[in-house]
Amino acid sequence: MRLLNYQPWALLRASGHNDGSEYDLSVMTGADISGEGAGGGVANGALLLRFATAAWAGDAGDLAAARTEIAETMGAAALTDTAAVVALFDAIDRVADATGIPLEDQKAAITADFRSTIGIDDFAAADEKGYST
Amino acid sequence: MTEINYQGLPWPVRDDVTAAQRRAWERLGRAGTWLTGAERIAVAAETRHAPNCTLCQQRKDALSPNSVNGRHDQLGALPELEVEQIHRIHTDPGRLSRAWYRDLCDGGVAEERYVEIVGVIATAVAIDTFTKGLGLDLWPLPEAQEGMPSRHRPAAAEQQMAWVSTLSPQDAMGSVDEDLYGGRPTVGNVVQAMSLVPAEVRNFFDLVTHQYLPPAAMMDFATEYRAISHAQIELAAGRVSALNQCVY
Repeated sequence: MRLLNYQPWALLRASGHNDGSEYDLSVMTGADISGEGAGGGVANGALLLRFATAAWAGDAGDLAAARTEIAETMGAAALTDTAAVVALFDAIDRVADATGIPLEDQKAAITADFRSTIGIDDFAAADEKGYST
Repeated sequence: MTEINYQGLPWPVRDDVTAAQRRAWERLGRAGTWLTGAERIAVAAETRHAPNCTLCQQRKDALSPNSVNGRHDQLGALPELEVEQIHRIHTDPGRLSRAWYRDLCDGGVAEERYVEIVGVIATAVAIDTFTKGLGLDLWPLPEAQEGMPSRHRPAAAEQQMAWVSTLSPQDAMGSVDEDLYGGRPTVGNVVQAMSLVPAEVRNFFDLVTHQYLPPAAMMDFATEYRAISHAQIELAAGRVSALNQCVY
């Protein structure tokens, strides 16, 4: 039985497998979101990362610039759908963290090869969730 | 009551997103399972207030949040320990710990109220982060409605995989909460996370379905359901999860 995932790192990789792309997952945890390859191979990825980062940080100036970039490059509907996803994950992360749910064994197994590489295992909560290596 | 309405923006918000947020906002003001409508509104207001708290800012900057003591800057409508819960979940979710949760419970926070408060925080964050993302003012919180909490606790809920008690899909079968997981025999832990208070699962995952994707669409990579692709959705989602230091 395949578990519904809700884990974006694993779903991004799975999406790449489906369309024959190998996305660079490390851009999601990286500090540099403006350099070459910042989008990890995802179309307009750098714009999306800039928007997500500015929305999370609440930086009005960066956010306004990111909104304009996405709307002009990807279209107005893409902007509102991106804002909806960013906001939803800002919320669902808190549900996961506040209730102390562990990562399922199945998900831990399929993400083991990249969690350490891209820095997820270094998050403070990794020890709390009992799978940090 | 102010109704959530995104008409007139230069960017079109899907009707189903607006409708889901309206439902969530309306539910926010109604009596819940363990909290009155007034208490639910107080939780949402305290959630909005948390980023202004000096203690929370000092803790966020500290190597360990436990190394900084003090009192929260608060609105005064909720008990101190519930303010601690709300502020920590909102301002430093990646460094919550089982010991912190146990301390709250040992101090008198009931796990049923704790879980409902998590649901209210999540609802407020999902809508507030969206409006801020679009450069809009936050919607006024709804007015609290009269009514008593239902105090429904699933009989089979128990401590099993999370800090809080949860209702497994198997145990939901044949119960009054049979609909909770759509009849699926297995679901991800995050879907079960708030199942001690089933109404919060239904409420929040209504938003999940519309702001993110319905369950059936999540891994249907052959079809795109939004104006951004699956890969673009997951990239943006993953960035936020990384910034929140969420390992799930």
